[in-house]
Amino acid sequence: MERRVVITGSSAITPIGHGKDQIVESLLKGTSGVKPLREDEFLGRYIHSRVYGTVDYPVDYDFKRNHRKTMGPVAYYACQVAKEVLEQTGLTDDFITSGRLGVAFGSIHGSPTVQRNIYRTFFEAKEKSAYQGIGAVDYLKSMVHTTAVNITKMFGITGRVISSGTACTTSSQSIGYGYESVKFGMQDAMLCGGADEYDTITVAVFDNLLACSTAFNSEPHRTPRPFDKLRDGLVVGEGAGAVMLEEYEFAKKRGAKILGEVIGFACNNNGGDLILPNLKGITNTLKLGVENAKINAQDVDLISAHATATKMGDIIETQAISDVFGDSPYVVGLKSYTGHTMAACGAIETIISLYMMQDGFIAPTLNLEEVDERCTMIKHVQKILQQPVNIAAIQNFAFGGVNTILLIRKFS
Amino acid sequence: MTRQEIEREVKTIFQREFEIENPGMDDDLRETYEFDSIDAIELLLAIEVFLGYEITQEEKKQAINIRTINQICDYIEKIAQTRKLSPVVK
Repeated sequence: MERRVVITGSSAITPIGHGKDQIVESLLKGTSGVKPLREDEFLGRYIHSRVYGTVDYPVDYDFKRNHRKTMGPVAYYACQVAKEVLEQTGLTDDFITSGRLGVAFGSIHGSPTVQRNIYRTFFEAKEKSAYQGIGAVDYLKSMVHTTAVNITKMFGITGRVISSGTACTTSSQSIGYGYESVKFGMQDAMLCGGADEYDTITVAVFDNLLACSTAFNSEPHRTPRPFDKLRDGLVVGEGAGAVMLEEYEFAKKRGAKILGEVIGFACNNNGGDLILPNLKGITNTLKLGVENAKINAQDVDLISAHATATKMGDIIETQAISDVFGDSPYVVGLKSYTGHTMAACGAIETIISLYMMQDGFIAPTLNLEEVDERCTMIKHVQKILQQPVNIAAIQNFAFGGVNTILLIRKFS
Repeated sequence: MTRQEIEREVKTIFQREFEIENPGMDDDLRETYEFDSIDAIELLLAIEVFLGYEITQEEKKQAINIRTINQICDYIEKIAQTRKLSPVVK
């Protein structure tokens, strides 16, 4: 049994805005969400990269104490976008609690803010009473599946839980595995996404690997620069994104507003190095995605590239896109606006692709002023295009050698 | 430490830690305020701070069936008597 899977709700909290109106406005104005790295009381001052894709506006949370008590910052993000998606879809409480709705949601490592407090208590402990500094709920706030299960608790969702924690492919896997769960009849709907909170540990990790941008510390909005000759690395960011996937007949019968359709997903692994991008592995992923969607590669109009703006990553991705899709699809690197929102990036980039598909435009890759000569074989977007998009591919690749591609189609 | 003082402190803990204002002394905390097992563990930590000494694991297990503010006050009184100490308000 293979069933059609449609998108009936979406929401995102990103460095360039919360919700469609703000995000589209930022895309149209070319507004960057990259800001100076905040000072922290840990190792922040020693990090070479001083930039961060920052959510610097207030989010109006309205969660009951009984829910808040098991939530760290990452779960606040996750539950907020989940709440907004559920409100958009109009799904009934009977369905939400029926067991036919599941959740696929993750973060790269739970809540680092809470984890830091646990470790601080542990390492600073001089007396037995310090033991009380570790709260009964600290694990629930910090564990890797904290986003998914806080969502299930808040809304009484009783279906399956999938909580990928595969770094940068976390939420593309959430959507992909959610898509498969509905497509093959295990669930009638899946609430899918990912979130990550502000965290300088992640910056320090990439900084140590020489993968972070450092040349634009005094002008944060000029980095990251996917595919650009002057790109010098990624910029870590924060945020959350969620979509509701529903079985098409179910959505149609209940009169749901259908925003788009997921038509394909593929995921594989490079089977080797855990860090370096791998042309063969990525190329295979893209081919598998096209096959899974039962389309021709030439049918794809828009590619949201992973495009972190590292030296080698962008070159390898360009080659893979060129090998599989040629130079016909427009290619955009959306991290140029948001920074790399880690576990949230796949969902956020899917949602932004959906917005562009709905509104008939393609945003340019920000800061792409002079295309690197090794990245010229694909069709870059350097100014806003009023351009219908029928099929979009969203590509994400992660540490660990995990690669994903999602394919979505405009619903008509 | 009088019973009234213990009651006042327990209500303060409920307001501060659980955002529960003036609970009835015999209200079922689970049914009325969604007070659950996680809250119970947090409450025991707060009671330890209030008493100024550690509650043993065995004593904590005895708290498992507590449902009301009155029962919590009974529990604190019993532990204080066992130690022959008065709770220390900080």
